Amino acid sequence: MFSKKKIITAYTIEKCKKCEMLRKRKFIQGDVLFAESSKCTSCDGMTSIEKIFGETIEQ
Amino acid sequence: MNFTNIDLDQLFGMSDDTNPLMMLIWILPIFLFVFYGQRIQLFVTSGEIKKGIKKLDGFREESRNELIDYIKKNLEPKYDPIKKIDRFLDYFTIMPVDMDPNGIVDKVRHTVRSREDYTREHVKSLSPEISDLDLSKVQTLLEIASSLQMIYKIINHMFLTAKKQNNYPLILPLQMILPFIMEQAEAMKEAIPAFKAGQPVGDGIGPMVVGKMMLNVDKETVAFQTVLAKTEFENRKLFLLKAEGPNSTVGRPGDALETIVSNNKLDAIIMIDAALKMEGEDSASIAQGFGAAIGGIGTERFQIEAIATNNHIQVFSIVIKQSIKEAIALMTKEIADQADDARSQVYEMIRENTNEGQSVLVIGVGNTVGVPQ
Repeated sequence: MFSKKKIITAYTIEKCKKCEMLRKRKFIQGDVLFAESSKCTSCDGMTSIEKIFGETIEQ
Repeated sequence: MNFTNIDLDQLFGMSDDTNPLMMLIWILPIFLFVFYGQRIQLFVTSGEIKKGIKKLDGFREESRNELIDYIKKNLEPKYDPIKKIDRFLDYFTIMPVDMDPNGIVDKVRHTVRSREDYTREHVKSLSPEISDLDLSKVQTLLEIASSLQMIYKIINHMFLTAKKQNNYPLILPLQMILPFIMEQAEAMKEAIPAFKAGQPVGDGIGPMVVGKMMLNVDKETVAFQTVLAKTEFENRKLFLLKAEGPNSTVGRPGDALETIVSNNKLDAIIMIDAALKMEGEDSASIAQGFGAAIGGIGTERFQIEAIATNNHIQVFSIVIKQSIKEAIALMTKEIADQADDARSQVYEMIRENTNEGQSVLVIGVGNTVGVPQ
């Protein structure tokens, strides 16, 4: 009755192959590990998906 | 009114042994509990179990609706799939007779694989253009929904039988196992969104470790839904094996090992898998050990152990501890963060246990949903 509601949010971690910068964003449908994802925001390298995980928030 | 000078002895008639009314008040409950104690306990316990069964019924209904919803939205079936899905959910598997255990593993493997093949073909018939990824997802969702249906039916049957017979001892084992059953059922219910979205689950840590080692290496299909990559590491021949991702499958590592061993001489096998943690153990902790680290019904482990024994291959394992909930739901950050450490432990294990020129097979065991190679 008094337990808090738990919400799990999925996140994707992208890693730039060139400068190795990590960027965390919300999971988008179709994301799979190791796939080339987007252009790096700090250099012109491509990023690949390093991790996909869930974080629980209590409400 | 003065409440401070109440005489308890007088109130309960303790000073007067002959008070018949007070004697009745004390003695009546004793008789009540002697003759009706079990029924009272049955009544109290029933309330708790009923709550659990109501929850299980909710999980069963929710998983069924999620499955139907996924099929209707993603597969665009030619006809209404509800009738067919309801029939699938009630499918049962009769395990082979084990009075004579000789050859039982082959029989169990045959029965389980026949069921898998049957389900796969019939899901395909719902939508012939279905992709392999969607097919594997629907198969997993179907497994979850039918498992929840089966759990609900068994628990409800045990409860109703105990109630019908007014038999308190019959309800005791149910009361004892219900918390464990609820934990598993809740874990299955929470796994549904991850499988629908194609996200890696905790059990996918093994394929995640090996999948990264396979990147930029040529891959070949070595057994059904199982891929192999050959590479080199510090003058050792490395065979990397995992289920074919990003589909929701565990592959057939036993069959794959049989093929590999028939063409190559292996000196060691290293298996990386998720393992259920004990209460009190830290989640996502890594442990090393001997023997085949692989779960499931036991047929794959039997096959791997038999091949390793016949060919004198040492089997090492690295496990990443997690709870049942973590193993089948979306991978937690703690588990994902351990992938690099587990990979470096694999390389360390290869260095420590093999010499240059030898061959090692590294198997990433587990469901590979969301984890390609």
